[in-house]
Amino acid sequence: MAKQTFTTGQVLSAAQMTSLQQTAMGGGSTTAKTTSYVLVAADAGTVVQMNSASATTITVNTALFAAGDTVQIQNVGAGVCTITAGTATVSTSAVLTLKQYDGGTLYFNSTSAAIFFSSDAADSPLTTKGDLFTYSTANDRLAVGANATVLTADSTTATGLKWATASSGATGWTLLNAGGTALTGAATITISSISAKQIMVLVLNASSTVASAAMYIRPNSLTTAIYDAFGNAGNGSSTYSGSTIFDKRCLYQSSNGIPIGDMPNAVTGLVGGYVFIDKTDQTGYKNFTASGSGADNSGSSTGEVIYNLGGILEMSAAVTSITVATTSGNFDAGTVYVFGAN
Amino acid sequence: MTKYVEKIFDIETGEETIRPYTAAEVAEMENNEAELKAKLATIHAEQLAKDAARQVVLDKLGLSADDIAALLG
Repeated sequence: MAKQTFTTGQVLSAAQMTSLQQTAMGGGSTTAKTTSYVLVAADAGTVVQMNSASATTITVNTALFAAGDTVQIQNVGAGVCTITAGTATVSTSAVLTLKQYDGGTLYFNSTSAAIFFSSDAADSPLTTKGDLFTYSTANDRLAVGANATVLTADSTTATGLKWATASSGATGWTLLNAGGTALTGAATITISSISAKQIMVLVLNASSTVASAAMYIRPNSLTTAIYDAFGNAGNGSSTYSGSTIFDKRCLYQSSNGIPIGDMPNAVTGLVGGYVFIDKTDQTGYKNFTASGSGADNSGSSTGEVIYNLGGILEMSAAVTSITVATTSGNFDAGTVYVFGAN
Repeated sequence: MTKYVEKIFDIETGEETIRPYTAAEVAEMENNEAELKAKLATIHAEQLAKDAARQVVLDKLGLSADDIAALLG
């Protein structure tokens, strides 16, 4: 029953009482519409029902309704019906776009402000098998990922989620600098852009333009005093024999790097060395082992100097490069191989 | 270009670049080389002195170095 102003002594008919009852139950007389419509004052207390196959609007203007007036709005047509604020304001926590069979109550707080209380439950955004219900700036769906992928947090996506390949377990060793890198012609050779959890460095057939030049391995080219090692760094006499006594050092600290040999000159002999470093993808303490051979103090090829060390590095960054360096002269032969494993 | 360089091989790009040593690095290398040569010269001189002293003893005994090696086995 449309809103009325009753007068004293007015008598209502049975039909009017029935209509009044229907309105009280949230139903009541219906003004069926088939095209876009602008609410009028007489719609207060009635049901405005839209039935159109096309998109339509129901417009709400000010100065037509009083505080406390209500209008029931229903959309029974296939076209979407949108409740549109004309000169009045319309607030809602739901949506003002009504699909077929959506509806709700337009309640006027004042002559110029209404609230639309939707009777429709929030629409599910899910459409496809495997979809996940999530949220971006509104209810949203995350489509199922590829087989064997896992759900992963990612703040760069709209929903904060993505599907990603699960991290793999440990892998075997890979030669990072394919074919090795020649040392010839340089005093320092750096292999960069390394990303590995463990690193092995192998230097083969090295020699130097300066007799007895020392050879070092440096992670991240560091020459600060971060290397502590226990082991043998043995120097023999100039004439190698089975009874040569080596000078055994128990604690070796160096700011040049990890020593792996003293080189002969002019390719009269060749030496090599090996270093293994663990936890290279992390900061902090790392274990290393090293061994290498070297020429004697006169620079001959008898390889009397032997390094056999194990020790600790303390680093403030992951290892991303390995440097082979000599402190005197240039390398005139040799190859470095850098292996990585994850 | 200085006679000392750093060769940098980037395993991601496969590119190799050459960086000449700075003046400070060159000075350090030349200093290291001079110290090493001085050390080797000292060691060589000491070894020559030892060899000379050994030969004096061998001459007194009337033996050669091969004789000593045969005796010691």
